[in-house]
Amino acid sequence: MDMNAYLSMFIDESNDHLQALNDNLMRLESAPEDISIVQDIFRSAHTLKGMSATMGFEDLASLTHEMENVLDLVRNDKLKMDSFIFDTLFQGLDALESMVEDVVQGGTGKSDVTHIVNNLVKIVKGDYKNGSSEPAAAAPTTAASQNQENGGLLDQYQSSVLKQSIQSGLQVFYIKVTLTESCVLKAARSYMVFDVLENTGEVVKSEPPVEDLEQEKFDRSFTVFTISSVSPDELTSKINSISEIESVEVLPLDEESLATLSSAGTQVAAAAEAPVSPAIAEKAEVKSAAEQKKPAVKNGAPVANRTIRVDIERLDALMNLFSEMLIDRVRLEQLASEVKRQDLTDTVEHMARVSSDLQNIVLKLRMVPVDTVFNRFPRMIRDLAKSLDKKIDLIITGADTELDRTVIDEIGDPLVHLLRNSVDHGIETVSERIAAGKPETGTVNLRAFHSGNHVFIEVEEDGKGINAKKVLEKAISKGVVKPEDAGKLSIDEINNLIFSAGFSTAEVISDISGRGVGLDVVRTKITSLGGNVTVTSVEGKGTKFSVQLPLTLSIISAMLIKLGDEKYAIPLSSIVETSIIQRSSILMVHGSPMIKFRNAVIPLISLSKLFESPSYTEEHEEEHEIIVIHKGDKWAAVIIDEFIGQSEIVLKSLGKYLTNIPGVSGATILGDGQVALIVDPNALIK
Amino acid sequence: MSEELKVIVFGIANEEYGIEVDKVRTIERMMPITRVPKTPSFIKGVINLRGVVVPVMNLSGRFNLPETEVTEHTRIIVVAVNEMEVGFIVDSANDVIDIDSDIIDTPPEIVGGIQAKYLDGIAKIGEDRLLIMLNLSEVLNKSEIVQLEQLEV
Repeated sequence: MDMNAYLSMFIDESNDHLQALNDNLMRLESAPEDISIVQDIFRSAHTLKGMSATMGFEDLASLTHEMENVLDLVRNDKLKMDSFIFDTLFQGLDALESMVEDVVQGGTGKSDVTHIVNNLVKIVKGDYKNGSSEPAAAAPTTAASQNQENGGLLDQYQSSVLKQSIQSGLQVFYIKVTLTESCVLKAARSYMVFDVLENTGEVVKSEPPVEDLEQEKFDRSFTVFTISSVSPDELTSKINSISEIESVEVLPLDEESLATLSSAGTQVAAAAEAPVSPAIAEKAEVKSAAEQKKPAVKNGAPVANRTIRVDIERLDALMNLFSEMLIDRVRLEQLASEVKRQDLTDTVEHMARVSSDLQNIVLKLRMVPVDTVFNRFPRMIRDLAKSLDKKIDLIITGADTELDRTVIDEIGDPLVHLLRNSVDHGIETVSERIAAGKPETGTVNLRAFHSGNHVFIEVEEDGKGINAKKVLEKAISKGVVKPEDAGKLSIDEINNLIFSAGFSTAEVISDISGRGVGLDVVRTKITSLGGNVTVTSVEGKGTKFSVQLPLTLSIISAMLIKLGDEKYAIPLSSIVETSIIQRSSILMVHGSPMIKFRNAVIPLISLSKLFESPSYTEEHEEEHEIIVIHKGDKWAAVIIDEFIGQSEIVLKSLGKYLTNIPGVSGATILGDGQVALIVDPNALIK
Repeated sequence: MSEELKVIVFGIANEEYGIEVDKVRTIERMMPITRVPKTPSFIKGVINLRGVVVPVMNLSGRFNLPETEVTEHTRIIVVAVNEMEVGFIVDSANDVIDIDSDIIDTPPEIVGGIQAKYLDGIAKIGEDRLLIMLNLSEVLNKSEIVQLEQLEV
């Protein structure tokens, strides 16, 4: 059988598990006493280990195995979490992530992780710090019990766990599972059996051991001792529902039968008894506590929607086909209005309604919650804060806000940049914060929300704010601003100078940010996505970066206009108003034409001059049609020849040969099959 | 080592040119072209090629030769090189021939007013027919256009 069939499933699921591990470790770090989180982590790690061993990724499996050993000690309360353990576990997680990434890229998932493994082994042995006798005492007992595995059917530790379970009224089963002869992925099947058992209870012992099962080192059958909460019949039917299982025997055990099974092991284990018993008592206690907590957690978690995974290329193909249809729809509408036959018009109108519903659905299909980008930030902020020796809380709101997949793919890097910037330059060190009378832990707010046709993402911190004076000095010395213009700038305008190319105000250049290539790259990237980024800041109080992004990149509403016989489209989202002005009302300010508009004087731009139009000029007209456009809070009026009307247009690129045409952001195909260029209003306003 | 090449033959002014057939996506009749402002004058604009927007250039304009009139024989040859799709406006395109790579000679400095760097070579077919093989990646070289733009400014 070809393993490749399972590979994509493996990749998807291991990414899910890695993310769960990451999230839960973060949660655990803020609540180290919460054993139920450790249980969750352990489960994810265990599943990951099983999957990677089945797929033959030995390094992945062995690293997970070592991490699991540490977690096992923690969940059995034999080890207290401390920052060294957290760091090592996070390092391990990073290594796992890069291994999975390697698998995604078609590699073998191999990687040298001896350093991390050594650290993990040290933690298990308890000798990574000298003062801790408790874990050191615990380690030998685990080692001892492992040695005895071959001694009898059950070792002393296992049998007493089973005995206690029976005494406290839980059911204990001895299960023998035989796989069919034709079974190819024996390890996978046995893993599925274990999955069932672990969902209903706990596996105490298996013969052959789990490691051998995972490596398919068994014939066709294996046996398991398990503590379970369900009836033997239910257990049998659940295991039988797994395919390629030939037979299942479930034998309920009582204390007596248990004693016979374990007698062989008892004598050997007697020596280790003293340190073991307290541990068991503790374990039982911890377990009951954990079990009480579990239902509470489950109630809080959202019920998963029924979903299917779809290849992004198929969605793109669907989108392209739909765009083609949209062009034909516009064409049909034109034809229908020419033909003027009622039943044709009715049909076309109905089709238009259906297709606009379809458009909404197709666009929604491509929407992804920003959480897919946000979820890696808590970890990043934690690491940054640690390396900078600052205390920082990251508060994320609106992670369920949805954005087009293309935007999501591109927005990650700029946001990382803004967050790093906030942590590095914004939030002060603990001592500085105390001196300024602020709480010693800084707060970074990451917000996402919808507004109109846009999504806003804000990064706000309560740090030291931007020193406008310093920014202005720097801007003048770098030649970004002329000294004589400096006095005219408002505080916000000055603050936004930090997005100019070659600008960095950090006095100390650190490896986190501050090479002076930062924020202008952020702005370029966001503008290329059709968005905008601004900053507001109060010195001493904090800084807020606000990123405005379009909901979608592929279909937009636009105003179609004419310049002589050429047609252009202007995105509706940038249009404030359309109107007609008299030539006599044009004012000349410093030689450039301006008009009065809503109590303000705004620049007047001639599109025909800008685009060197061969067939139109407004020079001889008495009245001008204008479109007032905006970029952020700046306005400008654009003179055009004639309005055609509003239309849904499909964005197309001009191809790789024609890039960076000033004032043109792309092209679209009109209903008559002609290409019309899309005007980039952001380029018209300087 | 000689190789058989399949070549599309097209004409500009009185010269015959060749492009390898596997680089040609399609040959179209003249169709409406949308002008793109702020581009070099040899770029005529963009066309709608079955739903894809493709830029077109006038090849004679690209080589700084006088541009010829559009006639009913004028064709747009759409080529795909280095992931770029570009249409060439040519006076006529009417032949596909097989040539032997052996008969392609290195070009002299200038052929019919075109610098040698735009050419892969010259193939002599029969007694009095010369075929100029174009070096497409050089013809579509963008860094040179940037320089051109700077000159025009």
